[in-house]
Amino acid sequence: MSVHRSAATSPRWSPHLLRRAQLWLMLAPFLAGAFLLIGLPTLLTAGLAFTRYDAIMPPVWVGLENFAAIFRREVFWIAVRNSLLFALTAAPLQVLGALLLALLLHPVRRGVEGYRSAVYLSAVVPDVAYALIWLWLFNPLYGPINLVLAAVRLPQPLWLADPATALAALVIMAAVRVGEGMLLLIAARQALPAAFFQAAMLDGAGRWSAFRYITWPLLLPWLLLLLVRDVVIGAHAAFTPTLIMTGGGPGYATTLLPFLIYEEAFGSLRIGQAAAMMSVMFAAIGLFVWLVFRRSGGWAQVDEP
Amino acid sequence: MSLQGAWRWVIPGLLAGWLLAVSGCAPRPEPPLTFLIAGDPADEAAYRTLVAAFMAENPGLRVELLNIPSVRDFQRRLVADFAAGAPPDIFLINYRRYGPFVASGAIAPVGPFLAQSTELAAADFYPQALAAFTWQGELICLPQNMSSPVIYYNQDLFAAAGLPAPGDAWTWDEFLATAQALTRDLDGDGAADQYGLGVEPTLARAAPFLWMNGGDLVDDPAAPARLTLDAPASRAALAWFVALQTVHGVVPDAAAEASESSLSRFLNGRLAMYVESRRAVPEFRLIEGFAWDVAPLPVGKMPATLLHADAFCLSAAGKQQAAAWRFVEFANTRAGQRILARTGRTVPSRIDLATDPAFLDPQARPASSRVFLAAIPAMRSLPAMSTWLEVESVVDAELEQAFYGQITLDEAIRNATARSAEFLR
Repeated sequence: MSVHRSAATSPRWSPHLLRRAQLWLMLAPFLAGAFLLIGLPTLLTAGLAFTRYDAIMPPVWVGLENFAAIFRREVFWIAVRNSLLFALTAAPLQVLGALLLALLLHPVRRGVEGYRSAVYLSAVVPDVAYALIWLWLFNPLYGPINLVLAAVRLPQPLWLADPATALAALVIMAAVRVGEGMLLLIAARQALPAAFFQAAMLDGAGRWSAFRYITWPLLLPWLLLLLVRDVVIGAHAAFTPTLIMTGGGPGYATTLLPFLIYEEAFGSLRIGQAAAMMSVMFAAIGLFVWLVFRRSGGWAQVDEP
Repeated sequence: MSLQGAWRWVIPGLLAGWLLAVSGCAPRPEPPLTFLIAGDPADEAAYRTLVAAFMAENPGLRVELLNIPSVRDFQRRLVADFAAGAPPDIFLINYRRYGPFVASGAIAPVGPFLAQSTELAAADFYPQALAAFTWQGELICLPQNMSSPVIYYNQDLFAAAGLPAPGDAWTWDEFLATAQALTRDLDGDGAADQYGLGVEPTLARAAPFLWMNGGDLVDDPAAPARLTLDAPASRAALAWFVALQTVHGVVPDAAAEASESSLSRFLNGRLAMYVESRRAVPEFRLIEGFAWDVAPLPVGKMPATLLHADAFCLSAAGKQQAAAWRFVEFANTRAGQRILARTGRTVPSRIDLATDPAFLDPQARPASSRVFLAAIPAMRSLPAMSTWLEVESVVDAELEQAFYGQITLDEAIRNATARSAEFLR
């Protein structure tokens, strides 16, 4: 109604234009924030990647030298390998865990809210607190994990203190944080029409068949979305635990790219090289998302049968 | 708009204009000098006392002390401040960490200020400390203290084991035997509950032993091009150092250290000897459960130890350098250094304070503070170069794994030599 009236008072504004203007107005705070906090730093980083810059003297243009330098460095490739290993193991485990819990907790039952809240709680704990909790859980002598393993006479790894198990410990820690994914999948599962399942049951389909032929294919776009999100987040979100729990060690066992970039920039004052690493990581993630997008034919989900 | 309406704006307007004019004319006080340190609460208290004493003597000057408790965070803060164009006027930094800042011209050398000072002279300070802060022939920062690693030991555990106090010239073998006698499995479960020794598996801690054995860390300390940890004398010393854990088990292993740090074990009376510089004293003075003292490092083929020193540096971009120098000057007079020495934190860099009761107070622990003074003639510095800290961190990453038996010593040396090459060119 109000659209028509304002259109009548100012003839140059057609309802269509007005609606677009409203949309842009509502988008503006987000766009401003995104530009200031993401766009601008990205542009600056891309620019710094071509300079030698130590934060004290003004940047000096060096062309592609930084990229050549980081590709020559062994520790860069170690960090790339660690980051890939981390993101590609933690993300699928996270999605799988979220799916299992969503299927378990989606039916409306007495007390199910309590279980859902308990699972979601891990998503609300601040990163630093989460890291400190796990530092205690992984304590090789007094930590509950190893005490349980000792009680059932299983070998007790040194977890974060051993280069062979440190990265696996970080993966475990990331993989059990499934609260958000679970919430999303519960919503997705509840949106599936009950008629499908009733029809299948009339045809004599068991639980497994119902999951295999109905739930799984219909949830697949959601799972893919979650997987991509977790890979992308996993590629840089492991920064806090590495900083607080391992410092990238023992050796370089948990030196992930974000941690190396931070050390290069603020520890070694090679901000140019750090920016080059950041740009490479940014480009790789962009490429990955684009490829998945292409392969999956877009994110659009057809709800209508 | 009515006239009355217009008048409503005139009076506030005049008032605002008057305020602006007054604030423009009034002499604006200088902003306070900013002084950045990295220390524990005891350090901070000591520097607050120093700052208060300075401001009492110089009523026109204000100093704002900022303490960043962790050394790593301190470095990041300093970089961020420089990047933002707002560095602290004065900062206190270790000579192993100041290289990148000197190399990029961030520090205004104190040499010219010292040369013109009527309060201080270069001859007041230990030459080893001045040398550590001299870059290409120029004195960059003014050293505030000079320390070296020593053995802090639990006198009660020594007495309980029937061991005499360590002598002034104990050997590596005697040291090891002592550590073995003090490593105990008290409940008979096959795992040690009390350890003889705690030492960080780092190059800085191992360096004195390499030097004492006639080895060195690099080919040319003045212009290092390569690590020489694989040279026979260096390797033998490293092998002895690593064997303290891998062979003799007198130091907590990886699991034990990850579960409870050696420092915590020492503080709780379950670790007999702990290697640390003078900086541990304020914290150890809070120990109530047992008596403790310090002993020198065990002696090798030749005397050698590692210099630890912090100095006051002035930012090149500081707008009040003369005032900042006055603070640094005051802090390094007899009176200024006595304030810091009394906290136990520092071994003064001033020669005339070495025998001063502020440092050698017979009532305050450690009773054998002269151990720090006796070490001075044998002090050596780590190479002065902008990338030295990175060389250390590369070596530390490997040495730690060798120390805990996760890789062999030769593997560690090979990796460290290869990976440090890019920082030594």
